[in-house]
Amino acid sequence: MEQDNIGELLAEQLDRLFTDTVNRELIVSVEEGEPATNLWSELENLGVLSALASEEHDGVALNWSDIEPVVRAAGRHGVPVPFVETLIANWLLSQAGIAPPSGAIAIATEIFALNADDKISGEGLAGWLEQAEHIVLVAQRDDDHFVCLVEPANSNSEKLDTIAREPMAKISLSNATAKSVAAAPSSLDALGILPHLAVLRTVQSAGALEQLLELCIEYGNTREQFGRPIGKFQAIQHAIAELAAETAATQVAGLFACNQIDQSQASYGAMIAKTRVGKAATRGSEIAHQVFGAIGFTDEHSLHYFTRRLWQWRSEAGSDLWWAEQLGHRAIKQGGDALWANITTN
Amino acid sequence: MSASFQFRPLTIPKSLEPFRQEVRDFLNQAKKDWSGWKIGHSWTGFDKEFSREVGQRGWIGMTWPKQYGGRERSSLERYVMVEEMLAVGAPLGAHWFGDRQSGPLLLRLGTETQRQRFLPEITRGEASFCIGLSEPDSGSDLASIRSKAERVDGGWRLNGRKIWTTNGHLCDFMIGLFRIGSMGKIKHEGLSQFIIDMKSSGIEVRPIADLTGEAHFNEVLFDNVFVPEDMLVGTEGNGWSQATSELTFERSQPDRFMSCFPLLPLAIDAIEGEPDRLAARSAGQSIADLVVLREMSLSILGQLDEGKTPSQEAALVKDLGNTYEQRTSTMVRELLDSSAIIEQGNALSELEAYLMQSVPSFSLRGGTREILRGIIAKSLGLK
Repeated sequence: MEQDNIGELLAEQLDRLFTDTVNRELIVSVEEGEPATNLWSELENLGVLSALASEEHDGVALNWSDIEPVVRAAGRHGVPVPFVETLIANWLLSQAGIAPPSGAIAIATEIFALNADDKISGEGLAGWLEQAEHIVLVAQRDDDHFVCLVEPANSNSEKLDTIAREPMAKISLSNATAKSVAAAPSSLDALGILPHLAVLRTVQSAGALEQLLELCIEYGNTREQFGRPIGKFQAIQHAIAELAAETAATQVAGLFACNQIDQSQASYGAMIAKTRVGKAATRGSEIAHQVFGAIGFTDEHSLHYFTRRLWQWRSEAGSDLWWAEQLGHRAIKQGGDALWANITTN
Repeated sequence: MSASFQFRPLTIPKSLEPFRQEVRDFLNQAKKDWSGWKIGHSWTGFDKEFSREVGQRGWIGMTWPKQYGGRERSSLERYVMVEEMLAVGAPLGAHWFGDRQSGPLLLRLGTETQRQRFLPEITRGEASFCIGLSEPDSGSDLASIRSKAERVDGGWRLNGRKIWTTNGHLCDFMIGLFRIGSMGKIKHEGLSQFIIDMKSSGIEVRPIADLTGEAHFNEVLFDNVFVPEDMLVGTEGNGWSQATSELTFERSQPDRFMSCFPLLPLAIDAIEGEPDRLAARSAGQSIADLVVLREMSLSILGQLDEGKTPSQEAALVKDLGNTYEQRTSTMVRELLDSSAIIEQGNALSELEAYLMQSVPSFSLRGGTREILRGIIAKSLGLK
């Protein structure tokens, strides 16, 4: 109960900050390449970026379930800074015994190669790289995984376009020097931090869906056609009810997966959560755009700042379809008799 | 701004594993001779002998006070037992409505006499209850029911018709909703719930065959049926809110999303060779949906235990759950491209055939999808 309150209190505090500072103008300027430096400073000052890091690394040592409402609040506002990425990076560094540096950190979820001299090679995607002071990634040597902290100057990068229009780059490392290397925590499996990002993308999406729901309810009660608010029409009511159901399911999927990470079952959590959010993001966006009609399709309207992020996030960190395949393959391989037993033991 | 619904997680503790295993062991024996067709009926399947066995183990009304035949076990233990039963499609129908709905109603609102009279019998699997709500002219518009209760010496006289009463032809008692007096401006005023002995004189039960070729639901006719004074449930005239709050308990339970579950393991085993991407994806999506629904349902259980009434959350679970159950049947067909012939004795074939035909009812029973979505929209603040 105590722990619940920490996360929820923090989420309320951040929700107020985001309400005051994150608006369409800010999101537009970030999408045009201008970092949200003031917002970032506020987050740094609050100490929330190291919420998952241990106390010895000046963190708060919250667990993933605690941070869920905080990340959801960020998704609800479309917070345009590398908040989630830095949270994960600081957690991973701290777990590996590396003191997290200050500043924004980009993460690459692909597994890189580490040679005997601790030089890193490989390619991957790194969101927010252009605003980051460091990159955190997982590299493999033989059967062992390592956490690496890398300076962006030691990698080649190429800017890429995304549907979210948030900064994205492909990075290539060729025998790159790391600033720090340490053995990965035992809780990581062969997928490294891919599941962790997948889970927080789900939680962000739960927030974005809450935003869609709120916008649709408000519009349904105010937009009039045929002499009455469109929310009085059953067709609209039922569509919004379905959006609510998808929103609720995503909230629960994210919570479940955070809890799974806390129990060192990150990949299982990601399989469930990312698979589920795929459907919710798809159906939820369809419904919201249908409710809003043509105005919601305009650049001027705020709706697409959330629907584009939902489309982006469902494909990032292993798409919903990819995770569903992993889950399905695993279940089919384990066989029908194991299916129910596995559902009830996780 | 934040979501109007809350789903704090509730985790089943490891300490319940031995109990889960006990239920599983019992079912592994019991299910040996169940056909695929029978399994398809799941919690609507009526098997009095099975219900008596379940009752002997103390698994009916297991959370109720011992003085009424209950075992005072936790709601989580009951959840474990129920989901194990549903996972194998156990025939719960002879005790399910009493365990899920009528018993809890009597515990909350019944008189001491009613509790002592009915609850122990329910827990033994001996008293089967059905629910009398719908009428020929009152389906989704339930508050418009016209079946009447009139005061007479020593009790009430019932007249009218109920319809779609599941297992009404096999049950011992009905909890029926009747109107006292004539319908006023506010339709749901003046409704009352009664416990009706199905053997009373003046009751005629007419089974109605459904599209599966079987007859599970019924039309029940009331012709001057006498109900003693003390068989009124709760407060006279308060039947509407009593009956609808009953539905809140009902809507979030695993029977609202697990009715097709027994199909999944059989379908997974029927995939030949290395599964292709689309097959794996479909199976994965189905499992993810199920796990999330289970988490939602558990969360609501936790909220009910805390004394809250999460009616919006429960409606969301039923809407998602029924859609999921229906999708399961379609998904398995897409996965296996099953034969047009029902192969007798083949559990998968029989189960698929039965469920394909019965799933249309899943988003009708317990409140149609449209009614649920209306409830959800209203609670969201759509005016």
